[in-house]
Amino acid sequence: MSFSAKILLTSLLLSIVLLLSSIIAISAGSSGTHFLETLSVLTGNSDPDSVTSTIIWQIRLPRVILAAFVGGTLALGGLVFQALLRNPLAEPYILGISGGSAIGAILAMLIGLSYFPGVAIFSFAGSLLVLVFVTTLAGTTLGNTMHSKDSLLLGGVMMNAFCAAVIMFLISMTRSFQVQHILYWLMGDLATIQKGQLSILLLVLPCFVIIFILARPMNLLLLGRETAAAMGINVKNTILLLLVITSLMVSIIVSLSGLVGFVGLVIPHIFRMVLGPDHRLLVPSCLLGGASYLIFCDLLARVLPSSGELPVGIITALIGAPLFIILLLRDRA
Amino acid sequence: MFIHIPRTHIILTLVLSFMLQNGDILAGPVTDQVGRTLVVPENPSRVIALAPSITEIIYDLGQERKLIGVTQYSTYPSEAELLPRVGSYVRLDIEKIVSLKPDLCIAIKDGNPKHIVDKIVALNIPVYVIDPRNLLQIMDAITRLGSLLDAGNAAAVLVADMEKRIEQVQTLVKKARYKPRVFFQIDAEPLFSAGDNTFIHELIELAGGINTAAGEDPYPRYSWEDILVLQPEIVLISSMAGGLDPENLIRSWKKWNQLSAVNNDQVFVVEADLFDRPSPRLVDGLEAIAAIIHPELFTKK
Repeated sequence: MSFSAKILLTSLLLSIVLLLSSIIAISAGSSGTHFLETLSVLTGNSDPDSVTSTIIWQIRLPRVILAAFVGGTLALGGLVFQALLRNPLAEPYILGISGGSAIGAILAMLIGLSYFPGVAIFSFAGSLLVLVFVTTLAGTTLGNTMHSKDSLLLGGVMMNAFCAAVIMFLISMTRSFQVQHILYWLMGDLATIQKGQLSILLLVLPCFVIIFILARPMNLLLLGRETAAAMGINVKNTILLLLVITSLMVSIIVSLSGLVGFVGLVIPHIFRMVLGPDHRLLVPSCLLGGASYLIFCDLLARVLPSSGELPVGIITALIGAPLFIILLLRDRA
Repeated sequence: MFIHIPRTHIILTLVLSFMLQNGDILAGPVTDQVGRTLVVPENPSRVIALAPSITEIIYDLGQERKLIGVTQYSTYPSEAELLPRVGSYVRLDIEKIVSLKPDLCIAIKDGNPKHIVDKIVALNIPVYVIDPRNLLQIMDAITRLGSLLDAGNAAAVLVADMEKRIEQVQTLVKKARYKPRVFFQIDAEPLFSAGDNTFIHELIELAGGINTAAGEDPYPRYSWEDILVLQPEIVLISSMAGGLDPENLIRSWKKWNQLSAVNNDQVFVVEADLFDRPSPRLVDGLEAIAAIIHPELFTKK
């Protein structure tokens, strides 16, 4: 089997998984699980004004779409950063995006802005500000030294640490009733999306395409920057492009969903263990697999509690960490 | 900062209730307490209360048969616990709300997140928002909900009763020669109290005490060092503080015998529900702390 056939087959398989998990997630919710009714609503064979179709079209479907985009983007972001920084602990928020956007979001909540567009714009601006700072820092060191992956990593980690202190300060100064909103946002919250806001998600689609095109250069970068340069890759430009594109799409996602942890760390590792290190295969797999994983976790977050719902970040880590450890043990054996 | 209840208010309430008696039910566009204009059904029969205080008001108005959903912690009256739950007031379950097919939701500004209210409105469910910040505004909210739910009479009776009881406390307290310094502890570890613009502050002042935590910060934090300096003469502890039981809460104060409140045995645990919910039960809270602050005036009762 040729390699491109393998990419197609894996993508097809994962697309089917994504489709199935979406349908299951749309069928279930706090008002009950109706699999057949959902199918008839989705295929248009049901009264469009009924309560069930309102719940499915206006509440569950936008949420499942958001979960898919958030999961896919974070998994892909993690994959890119792990390759770029050649560090297995890299995750999509590593360059300070989480800290910057959290400060922006918390400030917006403290001022009393609405979630959309207020909080989203502030958190996006916050992450962009940190991103510009960290990449400028990296850009100035990138040309001079081949060890700049560490300066980029350290710059990001330090920014996040600094921002974390600011966040703690803001929370400790906050009146009691707003703290809850802020904490939910920090834990990742998919409940805020409205149907009209989904079009913003389309902005991340071109980012997916660019990253897929850059999959082969990413493979070469893994061999080291000298080797990649020898193979005809413009190392500095490729790295900067990947950095900016990935950070941009993660910022967009964070501004809509808050900080959903663990997906971006665990999903790329799982696929790397299962499929090997080739990014041409890993990019589509992480995208589709991350999407399915978060849809599944969000379903559990909505359905498990008898009243209300859990923040999805709790579920992603509760399932992700053990799953990862099992795979790690099997890998060693 | 005493509250003077205007006579016109009760007259207005009565006039409104007479208007409603003639079958002149409010329909179409109304303006809610935060100034939003919305269209409400002529006689709402499927109402969801998005906060425990709203549930209490609807029960007090005798309109509970119209109530089809409440939030978590809607514990009063106890019958309310049997109604379907739509999440907690900060984390509402929109899907559950829609599936109950309400024709009206009643929200509270200080609690229900705005983006969730917007989302419910976007699903074509009218949401009436109340925003009571003091006793007067609670009575206004009750009057509004009364006319909204076709219970103008019940609302007028309820408001008149609240006004009468507040006035009774005020009349009694006026005779007091001395205003003791009161510290109201709303949370333990860390210690929090309530400043200006809170119901607790309003109740302490109405009950003839001086709130030691008065100030711009609505929920100021204290250390034991601060409290030794403040020297409160009466300590009121909310029963919810820190998730501790009343004996433990009082014990944490007893070791500071430099405080006159401790020496004179003036440390009391009061029921949290009576002080943190903008509902008619705040008047119960007022009477309870007035009797603690000025026992000499209330012994006859």
